Amino acid sequence: MIAPKKISLTINGQVCEGEQGQTILDIARANNIYIPTLCHLKGLTAWGGCRLCVVEIEGSPKIAPSCATPAVDGTKIITHSERIVALRKATLELLFSERNHICPMCQYNKGDCGLQHQGYIHGITGIRYPYLYPALPVDVTAPYFGIDQNRCILCARCVRTCDEIEGVHTLDVASRGIKNQIVVDMNTTFGASETCTNCGACVANCPTGALFDKASAFRGQWTSCQQVLTTCTECPVGCGLKVFTKENRIVNVWGDPDSPVSKGHLCVKGRYQTWAEPRDRILTPLVKGKPATWDEALAAIKKGARVKKAEKALLVAPRVTNETVAAITAAAGKVGQTAMFVGTNEAALCAEPTFTEDALRKLQDADAIIVIGALPSRDNGVVAARIRIAVRKAGAKLLVFHARKSDLDQYADVAANVVSLESKLWDKVKATLANAQRPAIVYGPNAMTPIGVTVMERLIAILETNAGSGEPLLIGLPVSANALAMSCSGIVPVEEIGPWLDAKPLKYLHIVASDAPDGGASLLEEKHVPALLEQIGCVVVQASYRSALTEKAAVVLPATIWCEKSGTVTNLEGRQLPVRPVLPVTGEARDDKAILESVFA
Amino acid sequence: MKKTPTPKPAKVKVATMWLSGCSGCHMSLLDIDERILELVKHVDILFSPIVDIKFKDMPYVDVGIVEGCVNNTDQEHELKMLRERAKVLIALGDCAVTGNIPSLRNQFPLRECLQRAYEQAESNKICCIPNDPIVPKLLPKAHPLQEVVKVDLHIPGCPPDADTIWFALTELLAGRIPQFNETNMRYD
Repeated sequence: MIAPKKISLTINGQVCEGEQGQTILDIARANNIYIPTLCHLKGLTAWGGCRLCVVEIEGSPKIAPSCATPAVDGTKIITHSERIVALRKATLELLFSERNHICPMCQYNKGDCGLQHQGYIHGITGIRYPYLYPALPVDVTAPYFGIDQNRCILCARCVRTCDEIEGVHTLDVASRGIKNQIVVDMNTTFGASETCTNCGACVANCPTGALFDKASAFRGQWTSCQQVLTTCTECPVGCGLKVFTKENRIVNVWGDPDSPVSKGHLCVKGRYQTWAEPRDRILTPLVKGKPATWDEALAAIKKGARVKKAEKALLVAPRVTNETVAAITAAAGKVGQTAMFVGTNEAALCAEPTFTEDALRKLQDADAIIVIGALPSRDNGVVAARIRIAVRKAGAKLLVFHARKSDLDQYADVAANVVSLESKLWDKVKATLANAQRPAIVYGPNAMTPIGVTVMERLIAILETNAGSGEPLLIGLPVSANALAMSCSGIVPVEEIGPWLDAKPLKYLHIVASDAPDGGASLLEEKHVPALLEQIGCVVVQASYRSALTEKAAVVLPATIWCEKSGTVTNLEGRQLPVRPVLPVTGEARDDKAILESVFA
Repeated sequence: MKKTPTPKPAKVKVATMWLSGCSGCHMSLLDIDERILELVKHVDILFSPIVDIKFKDMPYVDVGIVEGCVNNTDQEHELKMLRERAKVLIALGDCAVTGNIPSLRNQFPLRECLQRAYEQAESNKICCIPNDPIVPKLLPKAHPLQEVVKVDLHIPGCPPDADTIWFALTELLAGRIPQFNETNMRYD
């Protein structure tokens, strides 16, 4: 690669170095020269819409938006002149007068708002233009956020975020002039949108209160919140979370822009589902459904555990921290059998764990992506976003093989049922993959079925015949959060829990359901495990949320949830990612590791 | 020890007025606390909803401070009168500066607003829009002050901080036009 040509320009009399291709704003920022902006956001394409970043270029009678103007070697730039400042003020006043920016009743006020901030630094007290007071709609049909058109300044950061980061392009700008506004899909509502993934990236990138999170509205400005960086434990991707807390409650959860994995992006699971939904938390130990103290609960367990070692079993959710895994391995010596329960066909995927270094970055660079037996748009939203970007922005080919339809199908060159093996289809697959140089295969649990394996072998064989093609990048994508690392520690993944429970006459079963969402251990409910539990003498469940499991348990022990834990998890790239406590522990809950240690002491 | 009395400079005459607002800006003015003692050394508040002595007629003043926006014919008349009689007119608070909460009705026709408030409101049993001639007529839209008269100084805030008001008044007393920036101003 040829290094870009170095250029130098003078900004406000200061000589600034930069590279050919950089904008004036890039170079000014790199040299700590402040130029106000509203529509500009690092990581998105330049828009040039708000006109706050205008600068004067010596020798040019026109002013130029610095965010969209490439710097030219040797030019002289002035960022703050009387003329420029007057224009910026006029622009801001027009923005303020255009819609209904009534700050006192906006949930986003007091320091968070970009428009407010610009008004302050430009000393705007009154507006010289008449206010228009347009009647504009508010859409709160989305489950987690809403859009208030009254506060929109049409910077289109949400539109670009939706298009360039999440890759679905749900949002766009419609109509012209004064009627110009942000629309969802073909001018529908968020609730009726077929493309919106509820990832909430648009909300995080909105400079005003136009897009707002319902659960965090009026709960405190984020500039006054404490911020804790932690890791999402909802799937094996391990995205970085930036959690805003105030007075021991979560105000908002954003992506951590410095996360090596997700680079600030999140899916609906990490962004909202873990905290913005009411969940039925268990806060005290329960003995036969009645609240009890920890001592009473542990005594009840001791009584129930007076059985032979072979009659005891330990069943673990595939989502505990690596530190808890150590406690499980220690406890495994005191019971007859230990296993972790995983989803359908996931056992084979987890049995021989493979970690793909830097998988997400490489995935976005791939020129052909094959998704087989996985549903990233449901299970791993950030992976789905990377795939969409690679396909839509870089022109990568996409082949989807899965029994279930997903939103990725619409971008796919080939979308087929995993059991379909028609020769016509394979001709098309061959033609699509013909020029693939950097292919990537994302395989999920259903790729491990006999037919899935056949399809995968065939795909790899096709790729091998490609001239100049590198080794395909293989990314194993389990659904369960920490299953790969747990499998590495020797915990056997089991998907057919029924036969596993029936294999030996069990009298004591300890289930670590941990903080699995939807009331804990939906996987086990799918396999009708709660009904099977009735045959077992003593069932102990340690869980954070009420579920069919905890109803059947003789003793329930309250476990901490994601925001109260500390430790590490290992993601599918093999990175050890820190899980930090965000809030103090609620009620009598204890950490999974501590509970295991006291039960199996 | 007795001091020889020095001739005092004439005090600045001030009138304050409360149009469509919530009185919060006047409360914020009182929030300057003990500094009010310092203020009255230099200022005579002649006309105000928060002073006891009421004038029959609005006096001529140096500074007029107005809270709230212009919502009806009576307020429009009062504001125009104060503009005539005040050398400097200050719009205090968001309602006076932008229209703020009272201006939310501007998105709807006046008739609908009145019907909602007097005919459809769950709490209203009488069900009639007031039509007594003594009641001032609502204007079709609520107006920030500058849409009705010339305003010399805007102090935004809902309400403006007591410190902001103090800063503005002391600057004016010192003969300067107050300059607001991110350190001494807010809109909310």
